Amino acid sequence: MQTSEQVPVTVLTGFLGAGKTTLLNRILTEQHGRKYAVIVNEFGEQGIDNDLVVDADEEVFEMNNGCICCTVRGDLIRILGGLMKRADQLDAIIVETTGLADPAPVAQTFFVDQDVADRTKLDAIVTVADAVHLNSQLGEHHEAEEQIAFADVVLMNKVDLVDEVGLENVKSRIRKINPYAKIIKTTKCAAPLDEILGLNAFSLDRVLEVEPDFLDSDHDHEHDDDVTSISFVSEKPLNMDKFQSWFGDLLQTHGQDILRSKGILNFANKDERYVFQGVHMLMDASPMGPWPKNDNKNSRVVFIGRNLDKMGLKEGFEGCI
Amino acid sequence: MNLGLKDNQGSSKTKLEERGTEYNLKAPVTGAVTINNYIVVSFGDGKVRFFSQDNEPFVVQAHKGVILSIAGIEDSVLTGGEDGRFLKISDNGNINEIANFGTQWIDAVASYKMNYACSSGRKAYLWSDDKETALTLDNPSTVGGLSFDETGNRLAVSSYGGVTVWEKGNRRWKSSRFVWKGSHGKVTFSPDGKYLISAMQENEIHGWRIRDKTDLTMSGYPSKVKSLTWVGDTPHLVTSGANEAICWPFDGKGPLGRKPICVANGGNQNATFVQALPDENAVFVGFYDGSVLLSEIDETKKSYPIRSQTGYEVSVISISSDKKYILIGDIKGNVLCSPLWAGEL
Repeated sequence: MQTSEQVPVTVLTGFLGAGKTTLLNRILTEQHGRKYAVIVNEFGEQGIDNDLVVDADEEVFEMNNGCICCTVRGDLIRILGGLMKRADQLDAIIVETTGLADPAPVAQTFFVDQDVADRTKLDAIVTVADAVHLNSQLGEHHEAEEQIAFADVVLMNKVDLVDEVGLENVKSRIRKINPYAKIIKTTKCAAPLDEILGLNAFSLDRVLEVEPDFLDSDHDHEHDDDVTSISFVSEKPLNMDKFQSWFGDLLQTHGQDILRSKGILNFANKDERYVFQGVHMLMDASPMGPWPKNDNKNSRVVFIGRNLDKMGLKEGFEGCI
Repeated sequence: MNLGLKDNQGSSKTKLEERGTEYNLKAPVTGAVTINNYIVVSFGDGKVRFFSQDNEPFVVQAHKGVILSIAGIEDSVLTGGEDGRFLKISDNGNINEIANFGTQWIDAVASYKMNYACSSGRKAYLWSDDKETALTLDNPSTVGGLSFDETGNRLAVSSYGGVTVWEKGNRRWKSSRFVWKGSHGKVTFSPDGKYLISAMQENEIHGWRIRDKTDLTMSGYPSKVKSLTWVGDTPHLVTSGANEAICWPFDGKGPLGRKPICVANGGNQNATFVQALPDENAVFVGFYDGSVLLSEIDETKKSYPIRSQTGYEVSVISISSDKKYILIGDIKGNVLCSPLWAGEL
């Protein structure tokens, strides 16, 4: 009964020159009849053709909520609040971030601010990666790693400028950081827009859809600064109290290093599946209906972050059985 | 008080709804001020409407897009919008553009008699003493709110990390910073000018005793405090953000170590807008579902239903300067304009 539907928000990240503006202009010119607001950053490239372009200055605020890594985008709270007062309903909002931006404060804004969460929803984080330069950027800037780690979709752009072997290298590098993002190879960001917009990637339902990937437990480690991922499966049901206590402590102590977490859980004495998805210390979890008939009811969790091997994740998870 | 609110059984409409006029204006109500005997209301489609007791409201298409802030100045209103324009609109509908910031939104406007101010991004602009050009006030981050005190000689500008108070000196305006970690939005001085209060991004409000910058933290709200109003002679600072109006006492030594009074219980939903009934110790409290209650600042008294639910959160409650009528608006454009007192139709 309250407000109309939540407006989906797509967050567009990627290093300078990767092709964010090209993608933005494609979205705006190809989606005829739809009304989009585009929130651009002050250092953005010029030439975005839309009457609803809003300048933002990427003001990152620390929240005084006892959560040490909890930062939000203050300007987004203000701008989204203003856009929601428009008489005409927007079909979607696209937030472009600067090349060196950490995606976490943007994502966390949707977990922390109640007004933002009531009126809008985070649809997906889309990262445009430059196939030519990504390898070197990953080595030099931790922001590049974070943008890949946070992504729900990675557009591997400029593939026409790289040979087959080079492309495979880039792809495996992306996979090592984030095995769960969808990778789309493009030239001039020419990807089908329905694979970029309207994905609902932050919906808890979508956690269930990555099931097959959860089964590849990958324990590949580079040096400590690298972002990696790790996943666990348990065939035995988990103890809910033990899990909550372990997971709560884990996010409190290591939330800064855990960029994203997701999971499907089978708790002893509970008929329903539980799913969660988190960004740093913030987490959203809820029961998600009964298990499918033929499902083996395995619990699966995945973490993407730094120093994952130093958190006792395996022991902790197994301790919840 | 005789608002003729009793004996309301048997009707689904409140007394004020029975004697008032309903409008659906199809754009969110974003703000309201009173000038002369008008209640001037701003909307999300850039329109400003002048409501009066006896005539149909007249409309002025002022901005392209949302009107983000409105303030009154003599026979005119000042508005700031998404279109970057800072306008002065007189009560005969004439529009005068004071400033234009292009693609930068104007987030806040404020006025006191001939002094007025607006903010865009990190800068606030202050026009004072009939000067044509504005003084530019730089801030460490985007301005969250603007407010003059009741002398017009001090302007509070809130932002991330605190509030800056600009005070008129003999030759120029001087600034003083009130620091508190976090992001500060709406800001107000107490009527006696001794306290400065800001609504924060966190679910709390923060205050300072201006004399010595003593901090006052008023917390425990289940949601963000979006609306503040000063009520009665005590006075009480009445706030939204909880399922009842939270009223902090500012007499004597202020609210330090004292409990607030809680009135006008909205059940399991939170208050979104509060507005004092002028010259009375009573407050109108609007809720998330569009309903409005009136209550004295007294926990032993019961509250009166003023408006039934509309399904959409109350974004504006305004009382005309002559206290003869009230206007209530919500985020869907539903407006009720009604005589306040019984027997004066």
